This record gives sequence, structure tokens and C-alpha cells, in this order.
Amino acid sequence: MAELRFFDCNTRIGRCSTPRPEHFLDAAGLLAEMDCAGIERALVHHAWSVEWDPHEGNQALLRDIADEERLHPCFAALPSATRELPSPRDFARQVRQAHGAVRLFPTQHSYTLDDVSVGHFLDALSFERVPVLIDIGQTNWRDISQVLARHPALNLIVLNTYYRVDRNLYPLWDRFGNLHLDCGSYGVHRGIEAVCQRFGAERLLFGTDLPIHEVGGPMALVTYAAISDDDKQLIAGGNLRRVLGVSD
Amino acid sequence: MTDTFVDACRLGQALAGELVIDAHAHMGPWHNFHIPHNSARGMVERLDQLGIDACVSSPHVAIGPCYREGNRQVMAAADEYPERIIPYVTINPNYPEAETREEIEHWHSFARIKAFKIHPACHSYKVDGPGYGLMFEYAREHSVPVLSHSWAGDSQAGATLLSRMAGEMPNVTFIVGHAASSWSMIDEACGEAQGKDNVVLDLTGSQLLYMALEKMVERVGAAKILFGSDIPFIDPAPGLGRILMARLSDDDKRQILGLTTKRVFGL
Repeated sequence: MAELRFFDCNTRIGRCSTPRPEHFLDAAGLLAEMDCAGIERALVHHAWSVEWDPHEGNQALLRDIADEERLHPCFAALPSATRELPSPRDFARQVRQAHGAVRLFPTQHSYTLDDVSVGHFLDALSFERVPVLIDIGQTNWRDISQVLARHPALNLIVLNTYYRVDRNLYPLWDRFGNLHLDCGSYGVHRGIEAVCQRFGAERLLFGTDLPIHEVGGPMALVTYAAISDDDKQLIAGGNLRRVLGVSD
Repeated sequence: MTDTFVDACRLGQALAGELVIDAHAHMGPWHNFHIPHNSARGMVERLDQLGIDACVSSPHVAIGPCYREGNRQVMAAADEYPERIIPYVTINPNYPEAETREEIEHWHSFARIKAFKIHPACHSYKVDGPGYGLMFEYAREHSVPVLSHSWAGDSQAGATLLSRMAGEMPNVTFIVGHAASSWSMIDEACGEAQGKDNVVLDLTGSQLLYMALEKMVERVGAAKILFGSDIPFIDPAPGLGRILMARLSDDDKRQILGLTTKRVFGL
């Protein structure tokens, strides 16, 4: 097997409220870890955008990764009604131009995924083909189903799932082609093999959850999957490059 | 540290010439989620893909509703895949002592008791309760190791309680399950394992915290830590990959991958 080109969809930088002594907090630390593990690129969000303020966090993110072409920005977003961020159309356009993505934290940031709340915003992101990421701990499968039913062109990436999700996930995959899964924590026994056979490798993306969790587990799920080398390349990084519009 | 183990993980290559034993395995379906290829055959195929020599197994039905059915299943699997599937004998302490005695004597008569598995959480029974009495009596008499499910704040079988029992049974090795499942669990389990030869720590868990394994080795040494995965409850690849990619010496990785288990189980 040729060495895989890993593009991590799930990383974080920035000073946070509960750091551990071993955590890296800045872009240099993330890049050092990526070099050590053999990860080419990463999509990264800023802890401030989660724990302090999405606007301040997004600005800090842009500053912190400004000169790092291997790091792609993942901005936090909010419902447009309170006007805390630029208009949905402008915001979505800026994100697209940065080859970035948007991450939603509805539980942490106290809003719902109802269309009354985020419909306009998701329309704009969908129009600009901006991928949207959401941690399963911030939402539920019913809301994900409703979002995809109302915004079928939206590329939605669900993060930080686990090995008990298939009975919720498979019915959605039967219906929604743009639903993707961060497979770094998808520990289903021979699950990647099963998903590739039934739904195709295009549904899965490599993610680590650095600096909270280590790299070897998520990496081994991809490298040791009983699937073709082409499918492994898609999962390792090809799928994320595709949805971000990043050329090789 | 050479790149042998790191390269194997990056390239998805089965390790050659290294002993790898998964000390925490199950088998079969489970009630609240989907498990593809959960049979003994499906598991052995996965072991082959990863270069894992053997796993020590307690079927899901054993830690769930019927330990006797589980014991029968794992013995049949061990017969079908000798030296690939090593059986745990599982005990459910909620059943009458006469039945436990009959089960232990049955498998003893076939010389099939290599190790015991208990799941005080699933069976909702405290590990030092009388229902486990016969099992521990046998373990003491025959120096048989015991793997117990454990968790942070676990009132049925926390690491501190298991360690106290280990102090009372110096010839029984207690394997603390899921010892790396959180920082609080790591702190408790490492603290208890330090200075006790018969307490070892199992790494089984769906994810591992960043730098957790390195911290555990620093505190207790690799000879007190063993590879476990929960296969097929969880795929074994992440459990293997986190050891291969750790910032540890090759010798430490070899201990964790198989040598600790070989010593504890007398394989």
C-alpha cells in the first residue's frame, strides 16, 4: 500500500478552559504532532470560538494559521437573527474562499437546528458548497435527519461518533448522499469495511480529535481496513479535499 | 524507538515476528448495537488482517443474560480456532452457588480454566460479594488470573476495590479492565498498580486520550500494561494503532502488545 495522504477533519488549537499539561495549544504544536504522525493537512477550529465567542474565536483562528498552508480554517457559526456574525451570504462566501468549513455547536451556543433558527444560514452554506461539521454530542440523529431533509445539497460531516451508531446512521445513509462521518472514533467492528461495501468510501473522513485524543487509533482504523487502497486514500484525505474544494 | 511499529501502522501492515495478544475480547451479537462479522470466524479474519496472534474471549451472551451459554460458545470457538481464541470462563454471581460450582467443576474436568472474566456492571453485583466466592476460591487455589470490567467511579468494581482484593490474594493476578478510559481512571488505576505485582492494567476502550499511554508507562512500567480491544464489541485496529504509534521504546511496545499477557496468563 502506498503511504496515505492524511487530511485530518477534526483538530483544535487555542487556549482552552481545561487544558492538560501535555496538550499543545497553538498551530506550531499541532503541526509538530502532524509531522510526527505523518498527517499532511488538517482542518482546525479555535477553542475560543467554542468557549468564548464565535466571532473572536474565528478571528483568532485566522491570525493563528495565517501563514500555515497545511491548516485550513473551520469557523464557528451562529443563527443569523442576532447578527453576531456577518450575513449568511457574506460569511459563506468568505469561508469558501478560504477553502474552509463551518462547525456548529448548537448545545454549547444555545440554539436549535430548526429551520426557523438556521435555515437561511444553511441555505447560504449549501449554495456556496461549504461543508458543515457537527459533533454528535452537540445534536442528535433526529435533528440531523431534519437538516438533511431540508437541505439535501448540504455536505454535513458528523464528528466524534462511536461504535453504537449504525442503527441510527444506516437509515440516514440510505436516504442522504451528502451525509459524511468522521471515522476516527467510529470503532464498529469491521465497520469501515461494511460501510464501504454498502454505501461507498465517499461517506467517511479521517479525523483525530487532536489534542484531546491520540492519533494512532484513528489512523489504524483506516490503514488496517479491509478495503481497496483507492478507498483508503479517499477516507484518509481525498474526500475532505473534495468537499473543501482543495486541489492536490 | 525505531520506525518498525510506526511504519506498520501507517502502512496497515500486520506485524511480523512480534507476539500480539488481545487480552480483552468478546464474541457474538449484542443487544443495543449492530456488530458486523461478530462470529468467531469474523473475529479471526480480523485478527489475521491486523497480525494479532490470539485473543482471550468472553462472549457477549456470557456478560449478558447467560454465562453458561457464553462459556459453551467460547469453548467451541477455542476448539475450532486453537491458539487463536483462548477462552475466559465467565461467572454470573446472581445464580445459585450450586450452579456456579457445577460450571467451574465442569470446565475444570476438561482442564479448560485458563482465566476468569467477570462483569460486575452488567451483572449488577459488587466484586467482593459472596456470589463470586467460589470463583475466587478456585482462582486462589490454581493461580488463575481474573479480568474484571472496571470504570472510573465504578461502585461495583473500581480499581481501588480490585487492588484491595489483589492484596488479599497475592497469587491471583487482577486485570483492571478499561484502565485508560479517563484521566481519573488512569490516576486511580496507576496509583493502585504501583507496588502490587498482581495488579495489571488493560487498555481496552474506544478511544485513548492524547499521551495517556506514555503517562501510564511512566508511572507503572510497560510490564504492567496489556493490549485489549473488546473485539468485536469494538474493532481492534484503534487499540493496536495507539500502541504502535505511541512515543515509547520498542521494548515497551512489545511488553504491552503481548509479553505482559503471555506472562500473566502463563501462555
